[in-house]
Amino acid sequence: MDFTLSGESKMMVKAARDFAEQEIEPTVATVEKEDALPDDLLQKFAKARMLGMMVPKEYGGIGSTTVNVVLILEELAKTGSAAAFLMAFCNSVAETIYHWGSEDLRKRFLPPLCDGTNYPAMAFTEPGTGSDPTAITTTATPDGDHYVLNGTKRFVTHGHKKGYGVFYAKDETERITAFMVDKGSEGYTWSKPWALMGLAGQGLVDVFLKDVRAPKEDILGEKGKGFYILLRWIAGERVQQMAFMVGMGQACLDESLRYAKERMVRGRALTAMQGFQWMLADLHASIEACRWWTYRVAAKQDEGGDIEVDSAALKLFVVPTIQEVARKALQIHGSYGYCRDYKIERLYRTIAHAGVTAGSTEIQKTIVGSALARSKGI
Amino acid sequence: MDMVVCIKQVPETTDIGWDPQTGSLIREGVPGILNPNDKNALEAALDLREKHGGLITALSMGPPQAEEALREALSMGIDRGILLSDSLFAGADTLSTSYTLGLALEKIARFDLILCGKESSDGMTAQVGPQLAELLNLPQLTCAIEITVNRSAVKIKQKLEDGFRILETCLPALITVEREINRPRIPAMDSIIEAYRDKKVQVWAGADIGCHTEHLGLKGSPTRSRKVYRKKVKRGEVTILEGEPDEAAKELIQILKQKGLL
Ligand SMILES: Cc1cc2nc3c(=O)[nH]c(=O)nc-3n(C[C@H](O)[C@H](O)[C@H](O)COP(=O)(O)OP(=O)(O)OC[C@H]3O[C@@H](n4cnc5c(N)ncnc54)[C@H](O)[C@@H]3O)c2cc1C
Ligand SMILES: Cc1cc2nc3c(=O)[nH]c(=O)nc-3n(C[C@H](O)[C@H](O)[C@H](O)COP(=O)(O)OP(=O)(O)OC[C@H]3O[C@@H](n4cnc5c(N)ncnc54)[C@H](O)[C@@H]3O)c2cc1C
Repeated sequence: MDFTLSGESKMMVKAARDFAEQEIEPTVATVEKEDALPDDLLQKFAKARMLGMMVPKEYGGIGSTTVNVVLILEELAKTGSAAAFLMAFCNSVAETIYHWGSEDLRKRFLPPLCDGTNYPAMAFTEPGTGSDPTAITTTATPDGDHYVLNGTKRFVTHGHKKGYGVFYAKDETERITAFMVDKGSEGYTWSKPWALMGLAGQGLVDVFLKDVRAPKEDILGEKGKGFYILLRWIAGERVQQMAFMVGMGQACLDESLRYAKERMVRGRALTAMQGFQWMLADLHASIEACRWWTYRVAAKQDEGGDIEVDSAALKLFVVPTIQEVARKALQIHGSYGYCRDYKIERLYRTIAHAGVTAGSTEIQKTIVGSALARSKGI
Repeated sequence: MDMVVCIKQVPETTDIGWDPQTGSLIREGVPGILNPNDKNALEAALDLREKHGGLITALSMGPPQAEEALREALSMGIDRGILLSDSLFAGADTLSTSYTLGLALEKIARFDLILCGKESSDGMTAQVGPQLAELLNLPQLTCAIEITVNRSAVKIKQKLEDGFRILETCLPALITVEREINRPRIPAMDSIIEAYRDKKVQVWAGADIGCHTEHLGLKGSPTRSRKVYRKKVKRGEVTILEGEPDEAAKELIQILKQKGLL
């Protein structure tokens, strides 16, 4: 068991920190106001070679590891900006296309994802269902060498931005199939973005598919096996989401420390009081536990292990733990913590998202619980 | 156009102690970073390579962990690194540092331009660049905020306290750069992988550069620190000006004038 980071990983963390400071932090206020990420951000990520990091070089990636993606993401997440999510999302979608895609699909869809020409999308949620993807009603009907897609997809991150998305629909056999859909296709339209509690600039739209045509060769993976693609993608996405939580949790502690060292109460800094020291100690211990477990599951993914249950258990632990970290951090800030001028307020709102996306906390319990019930004991 | 960039690893914080005997900084256990100003020198070299081609070597004298600074330079896109590391070099002052760097440069032999930061963030003497140029008998252009190379001539815009100066000389030459000359690039992730897996950092000891030990390290350092001390910060009294803002502002101006600050 080796817990030391390689020199390469440490340098990546440093570069990510510099990137966050120079390219993300200065945009935060505008992103909050306009609820849109800067248009040139994706290109900046591409130039830093942070997109499609797990994809081999021949498809435009850099052939790195989940652990490195997670480490970078943790740094970017300290900004509390949806920009970090964009980086994570590009990586998880690219990895999915690489894993399931035919040679032809890899060659066509990966380079533009890695070089920042295209925004990814992953569309499964619908107005009628989010947690039970088998209940989706979007249909795919064969028509010659194409499929014709009809239906509504809800909450599609970057559904309105140029590029291809992976869309899940029921084919003529009533089974779920994943299609690569050009977001510029005829019949593809979208709503205005949902106004979210946090994650400004995330760009969550509903997508309306009216007789949208997708060539048969653009089916991702096997026909009728879309559900497995979805499950595997969400498992990877969860690990990245937890790295995002760890980074934001650390930012909560950093902000709290800064504040508590300066804030004087009865002539002493908050940090001089044992009660606050204990609170800070709790935050630190909580974040460390989340951090190292996240690294562990990421490493397991790199080892080629199945992380379906591990990532669900991880999420089950990290989400409430970091949400509690955010709550305590806000408390340390007193009423200032409730003011928009303070970063902790934004972190608190952003951290709130994690229990309901990429599989709700309850669904994670179901995954872990049923795996335990099936197992022959631990 | 081949270039050598001299880089130094410095302690990450400014809050470190001294050895009371030698007066040198206690660097053990303090994480090191690449001297921020040297990143500007590296960026300037990379920029010149984009225009004129050539090979860039990063050269550093320091303990084994200074390899990290060289790997960072390689991550930025520098072609190769050389680390001068030997217990003989320890305790060097600026003269001895320059001497050692100079010998390494003589061994490298093939270069058209040497680039240095203007100053390190810890020692801050700004002496190494100029001393090195003297030792190598090269023209030196200091405090550059712009560099242009035209065949065998190099021109810089030099920052002075109250203005600028355009200086020109022929290659080979040594240039020291200011922080504002450029914004150093952030290493791209693939470039970091290359820096750690494909690129080389050679380690040269005293014997490799054929030096006279009497010029090395503490022995070769004429500088002696007589006394090192931390400046005491005197806390002044706080005066609170009360009353209407206009009145308070007038009073403040009065006080500042009395103190000769306005
Ligand atoms: C920021 C953000 C980004 C998103 N991005 C995307 C995207 O890119 N693509 C996409 O397709 N979707 C996206 N979503 C949607 C998100 O993944 C779904 O909303 C989520 O899966 C939950 O679905 P739902 O809202 O329909 O909740 P529901 O399924 O209606 O669940 C409601 C409640 O019931 C609980 N519940 C449901 N089923 C069970 C069960 N079997 N047992 C116990 N409890 C249960 C849930 O835990 C929850 O508490 C995004 C959402 C957000 C907020
Ligand atoms: C008695 C004494 C003992 C000392 N002992 C030590 C010691 O044990 N260890 C120690 O690290 N320092 C020691 N120093 C400090 C040492 O003198 C300086 O660190 C060193 O000579 C560089 O000077 P500077 O930092 O002022 O660099 P500057 O002259 O301000 O630096 C200008 C530029 O020169 C280049 N440069 C400077 N140093 C190096 C280097 N080492 N390698 C490559 N390029 C360089 C860089 O481009 C830099 O931007 C000691 C000093 C004294 C007086």
